[in-house]
Amino acid sequence: MPDLLRPVRVLRYSAGNAWADMWVIFSPLTWILGWVSRVLVQVVFFALIGLLLDSDDAVRYLFVGNAVMITAMEATMSVTTTTWERRQGTMPLLVAAPTRLWPVFVGRSVQWLPTGVITASVALFALGPAFGIEWTPAQAVVVLACLAVVAVATYCFALVLSAIVLTAMDLHNVISNVAQAITMLIAGVMVPVSFWPGWVEAIAQALPLTHGLAAIRAVTDARAVGPVAGEVAAGLVLTVGVGALWLLAAAVLLEYLAAAGRRTGSIEFAE
Amino acid sequence: MTALRTGFQFEMRVLRRSFGELIALVTAPLMTLVFLAVIREGGRDDLAPYAVLAPALIVLWGVALIVSGELIAQDRENESLEAMVATPASFAGVLTGRITAVTLVSLTGFAESWLAAFLVFNVAVPIPHPGLFILIVLITALAMAGTACVMSAVFVLARSARAFQNSLTYPFYVLGGVMVPISLLPGWLEPISRLVFLSWSSDLLRDALSPAPVPDLASRLAVILVLGVAAYVLGLALVRRTVDRLRRTGSLTYA
Repeated sequence: MPDLLRPVRVLRYSAGNAWADMWVIFSPLTWILGWVSRVLVQVVFFALIGLLLDSDDAVRYLFVGNAVMITAMEATMSVTTTTWERRQGTMPLLVAAPTRLWPVFVGRSVQWLPTGVITASVALFALGPAFGIEWTPAQAVVVLACLAVVAVATYCFALVLSAIVLTAMDLHNVISNVAQAITMLIAGVMVPVSFWPGWVEAIAQALPLTHGLAAIRAVTDARAVGPVAGEVAAGLVLTVGVGALWLLAAAVLLEYLAAAGRRTGSIEFAE
Repeated sequence: MTALRTGFQFEMRVLRRSFGELIALVTAPLMTLVFLAVIREGGRDDLAPYAVLAPALIVLWGVALIVSGELIAQDRENESLEAMVATPASFAGVLTGRITAVTLVSLTGFAESWLAAFLVFNVAVPIPHPGLFILIVLITALAMAGTACVMSAVFVLARSARAFQNSLTYPFYVLGGVMVPISLLPGWLEPISRLVFLSWSSDLLRDALSPAPVPDLASRLAVILVLGVAAYVLGLALVRRTVDRLRRTGSLTYA
C-alpha cells in the first residue's frame, strides 16, 4: 500500500532545510538591519512617487501596492534558492530516492513565506499610518490572512519558474527579476490592472498577486471589513484557485524534469 | 596605463560571459514602463523625463554595487587575487580599468530607458542640451566609478559589510533623488542627500532635459566631480590597505 504521508514527511524535512538555509544567509541582526530595512525603504521609494504627482491618493495607492508586493517578491526569491539544490549536487540523490521530486522543491524555499508576510506586515502596520493608512484590529487581522494567502499562492507560481530555471541555471537571476518586474507592472501594484490593454489584463489574471492585492485594497479602502467581506472572500478564493493551478503545473513540470533527467543522464552531481 | 587598459579589456570579456550579473540592464526597460505607467495614470505626462532618467540611474548604481563592488571579493574567492597581487602591474590600475568597463557598460541603461519609453508608450523624451547632457552623464559615471572603488574595498575589508550590500540600493535611490527630487522630501534629509553624488547628478540631468538654461552649471558639475574624486582617492587608499592586510594575514585566498 502506498505511503500517503510520505510527501508530507518529505515536505517537512525539506522545509527544515529551507529554514536552516535562512539562518545561514542572515543572522537576526542582518535580516532586520540589512534586509527588512532595505525592503521598507523600497516601499517608501515607490510611495514617494505620489508626492511627485502631488496626490495623496497616489501615495496611498503606491504604498499599499508596494508593501504587498514585498510578500510576492520574497516568495519569488524561491526561484534563486531552488537552484542551490542543483548547485549543491543533490539532484541525482533526490531523483534516486524512493520519493517524488516535487515535495522536495515545494518545501525547499518556504523560508520566504513567513519572512515575506512579516516584512509586508511591518510596512503596512508600522509605516502605514505615516502614509495615511489607519487600521482597525479587524482590518489588520484580515489583511494579515490575505498576505499569508498571497505568499503561498505566489510561491506556487514561483515553483513553476523554479522548475524552468532548474533546466537553465544561468538564467535564475534573469527569470526571477523579470518575473518580479512584470508582476509589479501589471498586477495592480503601481497602477490599476484596468490601465493596461485587455490582453495584458488577461495575463494579469493568471498572477495570484492580482487577486490577493485586490482583496487587500478592498479592506484598506473600506472603513470596516463587514461591507467588503464578500469582495475579500472572492479575491482570496481566486488567489487560492490560481495558486493551486500553478502548484499543479509545478508538480507536473518537476516530475517531468526528473523523468527526462533520468532518461538523458543530464542530472549531474554538481554544476 | 597598461594595467588600466588590460583591466578594462579583461572586464569587458568577463561581462560578455556573465550576463546574469547585469540583471539591472535586463530589468531597466521594465522599470521604465513602471515609472511611465505611474505618471501617465496620474495624468502627469510632463514628468516623462523623470520616468526615463530614474531607471538609468538605478542601473548605474545597481551594477556598480553588484558587479564592481564584488570585483576584489570575487578575485579572492576564485583564487586569482594572489597571482594578481604578485605581478608587477599596478593592482589599483587593473581594478580601475575593470571598474571603468563595468561603469561604461552600465551606461547603456540610458539608451534602454529612452528606447523602452518610445517603443511601448510612444514617449520620446527630447534632450534640449545634448552636449551638456552627455557631459553630465560622463562626470556622473566618473563619480560612480570612484564610489564603486570604495565599495569593492569595503566589501573585503569588512566582511560583515557584504551582508548589507543589498541594502545599499533603495536608500541611495531615495537619497539620490533618482525619481523624486530631494526638494520634495523632508528637509532633514537634504544635508545627508547632498553628500551623495547621485542627488546632484539626478537634479542636474533633469535640468538638462528641460529647455530652459541650466542654472549654476559649473558649480554643480564641480560638486559631482569633487565627490567622485574624493571617493576614488578614498577607494584607492582602502584598496591598498585591503591588499596589504590580506598579504600580512596570508588570506589573499580563502583556501
